[in-house]
Amino acid sequence: MSNWDILWQARDEFWTGFLNTMQIFGLSITAAFAIGCFMLFLLEGRPSTSKLTLRVFIDGMRMLPFLMLAYLLYYGLPTFGIRLDAWWAGVGALAVYHGCYFAEIFRGSRLVFPQGQVEAAQAHGFTRGKMFVRLILPQIVMQTRPLIGNQLIYALKDTAFLVIITVRELTAAANSLSGTYFIPTEAFLVVIGFYWAVSVAMEIIVKQCGRFGAKRGFDHA
Amino acid sequence: MNASAWQMLFDGAWTTLWISAVSIAIGVAAGLIVALIRLARIPVVDQILVLYVSLARATPLVTLALFIFLSAPTLGFGLDRSVAGILALTINTTAFNAEIWRSGFRNFSRDQREAAMATGMTPWITFRRIMLPQMVITSLPGLINEMSFLIKGSPAIAVIGVVDLTRVTNRISAVTYEPLPPILVACALYMAIIGVLVWLQRLAERRANRLAT
Amino acid sequence: MPEATAVSIRQLSKSFDDVEVLRDVNLEVTPGEVVTILGASGSGKSTLLRCINWLEQPDRGSIHIAGQRIGLDDAGKRMGAKALARVRAQTGMVFQSFNLWPHLNVLHNVTEAPIHVMGKSKGEAQTHARELLEKVGLSDKAVAYPGTLSGGQKQRVAIARALAMQPEVMLFDEPTSALDPELVGEVLTVIKDLSAEGYTMVIVTHEMSFARAVSDQVVFLDKGIIVERADPETFFERPATERVQRFLERHG
Repeated sequence: MSNWDILWQARDEFWTGFLNTMQIFGLSITAAFAIGCFMLFLLEGRPSTSKLTLRVFIDGMRMLPFLMLAYLLYYGLPTFGIRLDAWWAGVGALAVYHGCYFAEIFRGSRLVFPQGQVEAAQAHGFTRGKMFVRLILPQIVMQTRPLIGNQLIYALKDTAFLVIITVRELTAAANSLSGTYFIPTEAFLVVIGFYWAVSVAMEIIVKQCGRFGAKRGFDHA
Repeated sequence: MNASAWQMLFDGAWTTLWISAVSIAIGVAAGLIVALIRLARIPVVDQILVLYVSLARATPLVTLALFIFLSAPTLGFGLDRSVAGILALTINTTAFNAEIWRSGFRNFSRDQREAAMATGMTPWITFRRIMLPQMVITSLPGLINEMSFLIKGSPAIAVIGVVDLTRVTNRISAVTYEPLPPILVACALYMAIIGVLVWLQRLAERRANRLAT
Repeated sequence: MPEATAVSIRQLSKSFDDVEVLRDVNLEVTPGEVVTILGASGSGKSTLLRCINWLEQPDRGSIHIAGQRIGLDDAGKRMGAKALARVRAQTGMVFQSFNLWPHLNVLHNVTEAPIHVMGKSKGEAQTHARELLEKVGLSDKAVAYPGTLSGGQKQRVAIARALAMQPEVMLFDEPTSALDPELVGEVLTVIKDLSAEGYTMVIVTHEMSFARAVSDQVVFLDKGIIVERADPETFFERPATERVQRFLERHG
């Protein structure tokens, strides 16, 4: 039996790992996106101490390796009596960590958002919240699309760190298979193929969104 | 935490630093070489490099480190943990650096190149004396940004048993049963390292902007 | 090839895509002569100038710089990069947008090519460069960086940079078109001084009174064809063609 046959027989294990990775990724990136949007909303308006604190928090997160945050949630929180299992610690860490990156991406775009549009909205009687949700956010999300795409790929890659805190995701599957059957090369090639396929798919989707964006005149092409 | 725990943390930070520094040094130079080869548009070689960059950018560092460390012995050569770690980080960062260098080339002013050729400089002298010095300045902010990403990705080498700044926290808490303090110190050390890089990046950006005016 | 010509252009033709920008252009520039090329924008005058040092490759025809053919060897094959660079070193070019190298200070902009192309020693190159900076009135700016200079100063540095190669011919591609009006004069003065010193120059310009004052020969291009060539007196006072008359009326 060739090494590839062994892998084929163990395909369920890969598949389970892959689905787990995709679940973690999908859930955490959705939460991260929401967190990023919410942080951007909190940063709207005049500077204040609480906004400054939030900026320091965002910058601090961006200076930390993702795994450190996962460690804090998984190993550190029990000190305060909060015990998360590895899976939820991982999802939580990914959501907060990449939420901060999203917030920073949005903030950069918000800085150059035309003030005239805001004034026009105020003149039409929009409330702060409505203006943010209906006018500012959609444009900022469309304009930062390529950066969001990059961040998605970073987030996907960061899910692999969770193998270190014992989450049974895709890389863990390759690791355990290569341990059991001693065929690391093939096992990891398959897994790298999975990550690659998802990344390429995401890139294509982001590009397709770009076409939609161009049609709606979001880009200055 | 006692004195030996602190000592271990600083040792871990040192391991993270030197392994990252070696990978950065090789990765910046190798990235330039990859970019140059890609500019030459050699058939087949070019496609291979495109595939390499695409794969390296999509592969998680943890996965890459495990792949290299575990499969090297089956291919007939064992690798030291540190060497495997450096290899993984370098393969990853080279791909990103290659793209940074390449965009530096593509955005280089055609006018300036013409001015160089008009004075009788050969393409090689033009590259060495006119293009490269400026591309170093304009690409440096991007390259330093990528260095920050490399440090942030470096805990991946913990998975193959390198006792870096991340893994050392497990070792300490295995003795003290208090995981939080070493993790917090490690966080502070990472922030200090990356803080320096962010500061350097800001300096580099200011210099690049000066050149652009 | 007659040794007496600084630049000799024969039967030069060039198209971009399907548009013919130069057609059968012939031009001789003798040493010490100043030739200005006039014409409306799009007439092909910049392309002609850029063909002289092979920044644009003509489709047909030949160009000789001081008797040496540029671009193609005697068998008509494309020159190697090194051979091409050697011939190019015989020409000095001044661009509309200056094209100084921003990472080098003024002095090093001027000495860069003499050191790395001609193989001059650093000391020799710098002595010469300082003389040239003096000539263009910028001896106090030797250690300044291009980013800190005005447009007129940049262009004068660019002239010194081109002169430093001791070229057989100086090529000027609309040297004052990118300048604020009040800075045009200082650059034109420098070029006039050079013509008085006997430099061979080919100048593309829109400055009519300057062209009249500085030229030995005026060439008028229209749609890639030389429609008129004359001494400046004849050209400006008694233009032979209606096309030139209209052009002169429009440009005062």
